[in-house]
Amino acid sequence: MTLELETIKWIPWLPALAAVVGGVCCMRKSMRNLAAPACILSILAGFIITLGVQSKVTVDSPRVFKAFTWIHIENFAVDFSFYVDPLTIIMLTVITGVGTLVAWYASGYMKGDRGYARFFAAVSLFIFAMTILVMADNLFLLYLGWEGVGLCSYLLIGFYYNKPAAVAAAKKAFIVNRIGDLFFALGIFLTYSHFHTVSLAEVLRSAGDLNTNLHAGGQGVFDLGAAPSVVVIPFLLMLGAFGKSAQLPLYMWLPDAMEGPTPVSALIHAATMVTAGVYLIARLLPLFALSPYALPIVAAVGGATALFAATIALCQCDIKRIFAYSTISQLGYMFMGVGAVSTAGPTVSATGAIYHLFTHAFFKALLFLTAGSVMHSLAGQLDLRKMSGLSKKMPITSVLMLIGCLALAGFPFTSGFFSKDLILADVVEMGRSNSPFATLYSVLGIVGVATAFLTAFYTFRLWFRVFTGPEQYEMGSDGHGHEEEGHDAGKAGHEQAHAPKSGETASAAIAVEHHHEPHEVSFVLMNLPLIFLAIGALGAGLWESKFGWIHHGIETSSAFLGYIPKTASDAGEAHDIHFTMQLISGSIAIVGIALAAWFHWLNRPAGERVARAFSGLVKVLNNKYYVDELNDALIVRPLRTLADVLFVFDSLIIDGIVQLVGFLPRALGMSLRPSQQGELQGYGLGMAFGAAFVLIVVLWSLNLVAMH
Amino acid sequence: MPPLILTHLAPHALAPFALAQLIEPGSFTDSTTPSLLDAVLPSVLNWMLFLPALAGAICFLPGVSRASARALALLTTLGSFALSLVIAFDYYFNQNASGVAAVTLKPWIESIHANYHVGVDGLNLPLVLLTTSLSVLVVLAAWRIEKATQAFMGLFLFLLTGMLGVFVALDLFLFYLFFEVSLLPMYFLIGIWGGPRKEYAAIKFFLYTLAGSICLLFVMLGLYCLTPAGTANHVNTWQLVDSGEQDSLISESVRALFAGPSTGLHGPTPAGPYWLHAQAFFLLTLVAFLIKLPAVPFHTWLPDAHVEAPTPISMILAGVLLKMGGYGLMRVTYPLFPDAARHFWLPVATLGVVAILYGGFCALAQTDWKKLVAYSSVSHMGYVTLGLAVLTRTGFDGAYFQMIAHGITSALMFFLVGVVYDRAHHRDINRLGGLWLKFPGLGGWSLLAFCAGMGLPGLCGFVGELLVIFGTFEANGQLPGTIPGSAGSGGFMGAATILGLFASLGVVITAGYTLWMFQRVFMGPERPEAAGYAPITAREYGIMAALGMAAVLFGLVPLLVFRLTDPTFYALASVLGLN
Repeated sequence: MTLELETIKWIPWLPALAAVVGGVCCMRKSMRNLAAPACILSILAGFIITLGVQSKVTVDSPRVFKAFTWIHIENFAVDFSFYVDPLTIIMLTVITGVGTLVAWYASGYMKGDRGYARFFAAVSLFIFAMTILVMADNLFLLYLGWEGVGLCSYLLIGFYYNKPAAVAAAKKAFIVNRIGDLFFALGIFLTYSHFHTVSLAEVLRSAGDLNTNLHAGGQGVFDLGAAPSVVVIPFLLMLGAFGKSAQLPLYMWLPDAMEGPTPVSALIHAATMVTAGVYLIARLLPLFALSPYALPIVAAVGGATALFAATIALCQCDIKRIFAYSTISQLGYMFMGVGAVSTAGPTVSATGAIYHLFTHAFFKALLFLTAGSVMHSLAGQLDLRKMSGLSKKMPITSVLMLIGCLALAGFPFTSGFFSKDLILADVVEMGRSNSPFATLYSVLGIVGVATAFLTAFYTFRLWFRVFTGPEQYEMGSDGHGHEEEGHDAGKAGHEQAHAPKSGETASAAIAVEHHHEPHEVSFVLMNLPLIFLAIGALGAGLWESKFGWIHHGIETSSAFLGYIPKTASDAGEAHDIHFTMQLISGSIAIVGIALAAWFHWLNRPAGERVARAFSGLVKVLNNKYYVDELNDALIVRPLRTLADVLFVFDSLIIDGIVQLVGFLPRALGMSLRPSQQGELQGYGLGMAFGAAFVLIVVLWSLNLVAMH
Repeated sequence: MPPLILTHLAPHALAPFALAQLIEPGSFTDSTTPSLLDAVLPSVLNWMLFLPALAGAICFLPGVSRASARALALLTTLGSFALSLVIAFDYYFNQNASGVAAVTLKPWIESIHANYHVGVDGLNLPLVLLTTSLSVLVVLAAWRIEKATQAFMGLFLFLLTGMLGVFVALDLFLFYLFFEVSLLPMYFLIGIWGGPRKEYAAIKFFLYTLAGSICLLFVMLGLYCLTPAGTANHVNTWQLVDSGEQDSLISESVRALFAGPSTGLHGPTPAGPYWLHAQAFFLLTLVAFLIKLPAVPFHTWLPDAHVEAPTPISMILAGVLLKMGGYGLMRVTYPLFPDAARHFWLPVATLGVVAILYGGFCALAQTDWKKLVAYSSVSHMGYVTLGLAVLTRTGFDGAYFQMIAHGITSALMFFLVGVVYDRAHHRDINRLGGLWLKFPGLGGWSLLAFCAGMGLPGLCGFVGELLVIFGTFEANGQLPGTIPGSAGSGGFMGAATILGLFASLGVVITAGYTLWMFQRVFMGPERPEAAGYAPITAREYGIMAALGMAAVLFGLVPLLVFRLTDPTFYALASVLGLN
């Protein structure tokens, strides 16, 4: 099936419509159940359109479609228009594909929640903003999507808004993101003041020309005497990307964001929104190539974040937080990948990063959603220490999560294995090039491999802890995370969710028992979409290595800096590196899994002994390096104090001056008041003095006149 | 006549997008012939202007019941709104007759050359529409006022005429008159229907603004005495718009009197004869209007006035009265003394940036919800000062749009505060909470309002802030005082850039106090006392919906404003020598 390419401009508007429908549903109780189908169908329609148009995209990309004029004044014009090239299509595939599956799952997971309609309205709005973000033809529209996804993230993290932790997490996420956004906006301003346009097509072309000139002239960018501002642009944009994608130093909002409902964590905080930063850099690669330092810094920050977050993930006990740190770590890989593109090096496109973004979306969404299933069946329990050996009770979930874990750990031939390997190969290849940053990239290669080991270990620590060992569990305290409901509504909804699952093995323990007994979740509503995700997590890598869809797509998009010819010997060498890295990362994943199996499945006491031996380190990791505390003491409190001081200044000094000015006329009046005491003698005396004074003056002046 | 919209819709493959064609500049360029409507437009404008005063007088007649006063006020504001819409439609679709429209020019006090001169152009028309539309909502918001309803409505209608008069007056004397006339009703509306410290707040508001008016009066007299040398007939004048040249705001020769020295292409030009006066006049009018705006450090009347004023009056105060300050700057101060504006750009722009940050920090420190919103107004109006001060076209457009956007969002925010106050009987943020659970609709509209206030793209608050900051960066290297050696588009550390950087910091602070407040008031567990709160009425939801949808509409289609302002701003830009 093929569709006209122009149909693509409908993709954002359908979820927007669904969001409006959802908004109406929030207010009308009778329409509540309409919100979910509207949301799912609108995203699905977007997915179908994406698939339908994709054969047309490579022919003459990029294409720009204008919807309407947005801001238009004398010397500044921005349109609502969409930029379509293969990178757009890859992103849209992830967003609408994973989006459909997650919304489908959520229609079961959220059943019975009082905010059911609100949830789907917000998810629809999110998809609208996210598709705008990746389809934007200019930086301002991109910024609209960028802020829009931030808002939806805020709304959905704070979805259970009677939980103080959720509300605080939502606010933190928004404000940390706003700090990143500030730099992003400044980057856009500078881009505009340099290139006199914010249109992607034109900015990329001009930046490309600048790069070519630079490359031809062979001079460093800092010698660009005429336009030093240009080299600042990538650094500003980079900070925006770090905020959205939770990289050092702006990462601390993402773990807290897990307070939101689990489907939100899967969709927004794993698969789509947090990858926007990677997309931004890939999309604007020619801009980032303007400074020779920009991309190496991106790669270094990515590598540091990957390792840093992986170490924290080792010692966390909350399932979702482990996955959150893992997401930060995997995003770090993507940044490493997108940073391993250099004007001076042999690799010239962001394929590895986008590839990993693509596969990560599938397996991480799968992992979060299976974690959601565990949470769902254990009444909100997420603590690793309070569950064990659940594979009997939840066989399908355990297999699905196993698939996700294998892909995350980079087990050979799963999707994560291929994409992670491509990034590592790119980085190592950069390390062997004649780039001035070769040493940095070599170190990053080692960091990447070490992180791969840690990843395999913490992932399987989790899986073995939850699903193997003696069967024991402690139920959580709430109705499936639907805190706001109280138990009754949660239970009612839950029973409803279980209605269509009659064929299931674990369904023997029917809903009456469900508060005391873990059980498998509904198949049609919850496990079926997960199976699609699992197929993606397992097969996407093999499929891509056979067809090279992403590879070819990226090479015809703006994420491709195609001006360095590769020689045949280079290509051969690259192939060798590729194969070596596959061997190394594959075997290290297996070692990691084996160690995890030993400490957390076969010989758990040994694991505990190791933890005790390093109790100091464990404590630091457990407390996430105390970053939140530092943040509070160094930033939040001083700002609050400044606000209080300024307000005191306002009420005492500024208003004090005003009061003083107001007081002066009164003071003047008071000083004159005694003269008006109302006694006749006083007035008579005054009159006499006055008359005498006038008389003297008159006589004196007459005298003067007479003298002349 | 406005052309029939439907016949002009271009056939388009995707019909919904064709709607967008409506707002494309230049899609209706056919009507060059003067129409019948043009002939009656001046009287339409006059009716719009004086209908409220007339109805206000009726409200004070003995025997008018509360209900009839309400109905009369509603009908009058609706009528005024309808008349302003007629003018606006004509202006929107007949752009060829740019410049000033619906003009009435009658000699008034001939001995001092004061004329009754009113009319609309791009500079005042959007504000007129804001005023008339908002006044309908204000009457609705005041529907439940039981204390001397007749007097309240009457005073409000007088106030409406005063505000509209300030905007449509094209004669400085008339402008001043209306500027003063709008003061008195406001004084009584705060002083009688206000909160516990209403007398204090009312007198503070009154005296503060009066101090500004005196500055303005002084400049008026000075101008009047100095103008003969510059006018064609060698007479003193109060004219704000040159009736001879339709597209120029004030005659070239008057402005030349106040010109500063310049180093133009044809060698240095000496300063005009009154260059020193111009500097003093600029500063005096600046103070007059900055008090009204209000800009730091002239802002302390605002939090008091807002906290004490009843909800509808807060809405009109924030929504329209503050805009008289910005409008005065754009109508009087900047067009008359452009060279002085250029001379003083840096201190004025600094005031703007200080207001943005300082207002934001003060808002962060508040526990009174209404005071927080009031300080956020100070912060938002800082963008207006900044946008004007940097003297770029983008900055001007941004400042103007910021006024319209703030008119919508601040009115909505104050209304929301009022809705909650009516139920909780206090505004202490720390003692509120969980209202979203109790009133999902209220929470939803509030979220929209505060997002618009935060300047989230796609909502109206974004466009103004964006353009102002943009204009500030554009000004770099174009204005005196920029750090030497960094001139030109390549330089990036001029004074304007530094100001722009600080102004952009405002977005983080705004997000900080907005989210903190939203979290405290609407999120968290529901409070026990909320059980007794009365449900929100359809009238209240209607007001929220109208303002909320306006916030979305103007965020997505800011062209609705820019299309009206464009020709006048074009003229203004050449007068001011904007970049």
